[in-house]
Amino acid sequence: MEPYNGYMGRVLFVDLTNRTHRLFPWTDRDRKRTLGGKVMAADILLQHIRPGMQAFDEDNWIVVTTGPLTGCGCPNSSRFNISTVSPLTGIVTSSNCGGDFGLWLKRAGYDAVIFTGKSKSPVTVSIRRDDVVFTDASKLWGLTTTETQEKLPKRTGKLVIGPAGEHRVLYACVFSNERTAGRGGVGAVFGDKKLKAVTAFGTAMPTVRDREKLRKTNEKWVKILQKHPLTGRQLPKLGTAGLIAPMQAHKILATKNFSAGRFDGFEKISGEELAEHHLVSNAACTTCAIRCARMCRVDGKVVKGPELEILGLLGANILNDDIEKIIRWNYVLDELGMDSISAAGTVAFAMELAEKGVRDFGLAFGKTDNIEEMFRKIAYREGDGDILADGSRKMSERFGGADYAINAKGMELAAYTPRHAVGHGLGYATANRGGCHLNAGYLVVVEGLGLDVDSLTPHGKAALAIMFQNLMEAVSAGGECLFTSYAVLPGFLIDKPNWPLTKAILAAFPYLGPVINILSHFPQLPAINIPLLPESYAIKYATGIPSTMGRMLTWGAYGYNAERMANVILGQKADADQLPARLTDEPQDPRDPRTKVPLNKMKRVYNRARGWKDGIPTWTRLKTLGVKIDREVYKEAVKEAYR
Amino acid sequence: MAKVKVKLFGVYRMDTHTPELELEAEKLGGVFDALHETLGGRTESGLRFKDAVIYVNGESCRKKSTALADGDEIWLLSPASGG
Repeated sequence: MEPYNGYMGRVLFVDLTNRTHRLFPWTDRDRKRTLGGKVMAADILLQHIRPGMQAFDEDNWIVVTTGPLTGCGCPNSSRFNISTVSPLTGIVTSSNCGGDFGLWLKRAGYDAVIFTGKSKSPVTVSIRRDDVVFTDASKLWGLTTTETQEKLPKRTGKLVIGPAGEHRVLYACVFSNERTAGRGGVGAVFGDKKLKAVTAFGTAMPTVRDREKLRKTNEKWVKILQKHPLTGRQLPKLGTAGLIAPMQAHKILATKNFSAGRFDGFEKISGEELAEHHLVSNAACTTCAIRCARMCRVDGKVVKGPELEILGLLGANILNDDIEKIIRWNYVLDELGMDSISAAGTVAFAMELAEKGVRDFGLAFGKTDNIEEMFRKIAYREGDGDILADGSRKMSERFGGADYAINAKGMELAAYTPRHAVGHGLGYATANRGGCHLNAGYLVVVEGLGLDVDSLTPHGKAALAIMFQNLMEAVSAGGECLFTSYAVLPGFLIDKPNWPLTKAILAAFPYLGPVINILSHFPQLPAINIPLLPESYAIKYATGIPSTMGRMLTWGAYGYNAERMANVILGQKADADQLPARLTDEPQDPRDPRTKVPLNKMKRVYNRARGWKDGIPTWTRLKTLGVKIDREVYKEAVKEAYR
Repeated sequence: MAKVKVKLFGVYRMDTHTPELELEAEKLGGVFDALHETLGGRTESGLRFKDAVIYVNGESCRKKSTALADGDEIWLLSPASGG
């Protein structure tokens, strides 16, 4: 078999305890099975993790992976992934980043790097094609994420943590440029291993299988993205912040710790307000054809502006309508190296605990004068900040309030409250890494924000959730930005919401469930490529791996099942796919009983369609997908899940 | 004719540089005629009934024939996406 192109063909394994390195075995057969990115990382972790492994154990691995399209000239292809056992959730987290570290890692000659062990003192690991250098990072320890990157050599790819990672805040993140691998506390695992920074440098480039066909595909792909109403107009003009108004309209803008879906002050924190009064310029991840990032000014410096999530969660969700404060907090959180979604969700939970008289942290809804101070306390684990640094689930275990601690599997939810988008709620509950809108399958795009499919009906939602979860898993594994997958939604369905044809198609959507279920169960069936999803063409022309729409869904299903099984081995219990009772038991609109997430009803269909029982993949399903796992390990993990 | 407040969001607002305006219209469909009259060439981004996501007093509305009353607030949103 001719070796696959697109890849560098090497995976680096770094032992921080002994300061040694070697190559990790990874073959073309593995590449064909997993594609790359988060699916590759899930597969590597599944082979490595053991029951009861904890995030801060010495043998917890940090797996940094790229996809085959990274470095091959494809649009929006600079994404890389970091997976590890999460200190926030106790299960696998996969965190994706648009910084340029992945590109540099490939230039250094590696598709992935795995870190194990713990350094006794702060360390920087410098990766070169033929060498790995460990240097003392004591002088970097204590610096912010920007300061740290400024001290490292220019023209290298960089991965760094800030003070939050050093102090093992359970939702600390890792930065590459101004972009972040934000979710699940990967920064805390870096900090625990005393890994302050990683750099990569080299001049190698991946070869591609068919350069001319790939070039033509990329040209078409850029045109598709630039013509599409979402990726060509809405995102460049307003960024993700442009969603605040539609979320308000659809009653899904998380407000006052998810107790409501609309916020009177929404216009003051909207994307329109940001664009008209605070935007300095657009920005983009390397290779991006969309340019959704916003640059704003803080203290005279031009810095990364807020995304939708933080505008919602540090705006409506804490009853704050001061966008200048949000811009500033966003900058502070980035410098400290903390996930803004979990930080904001935890603060909102603390506010509600105080309002209910359970515990006063000095935080209150609508009170904004001490938020920045609290973020610093969290990052350095000072005073009450030490409590908030553990996230909302651990706080609820200590103080109560689990019904309104808005997390799934310990990870705080994004800014979309799901009681008016019930399929999105199913996604939150079933997402492998916890309360993440993207790992959830992001059904809110079809339940109001892009298409207007009935957002309160449970019909068809399980099938749609599985299809989008699998598709986004594969897009991510290829090294692509998930926003490129929006182009799979035909533009006229989005652009012409009041056309009779659009209305008819959207009305039929919930009844397509059985058909989509067949595709999900036999993802190899659609052995075709569709023009609106150029990834599958690009993978074929870049790597030589046979790739179709069905193959993409198969990679996605493989990744979703492998990651779920890793979670079960780590100790995830049966029927762990849950949401807080506020979202499943209390209608958002007391006059409309449908405005809550009918989770159990949707989960029954979801589990059946996935080939799972109580959220655990069946042995048959794993074998059908080719997931590598020992029978005895499987049996023991399942037995433990029901114990 | 009812006096209504129209708020524009998304691409509509960015293209017309108009956050909100007051118009007179009898029915929802008439709002778009009044908008084109008032904003003139600034509506080239496609401020048409069939393209817009429309809310009247906070509730989704898709009928051109919907009667309007004095003080009604109409939101016109361009298609959105994700974040």
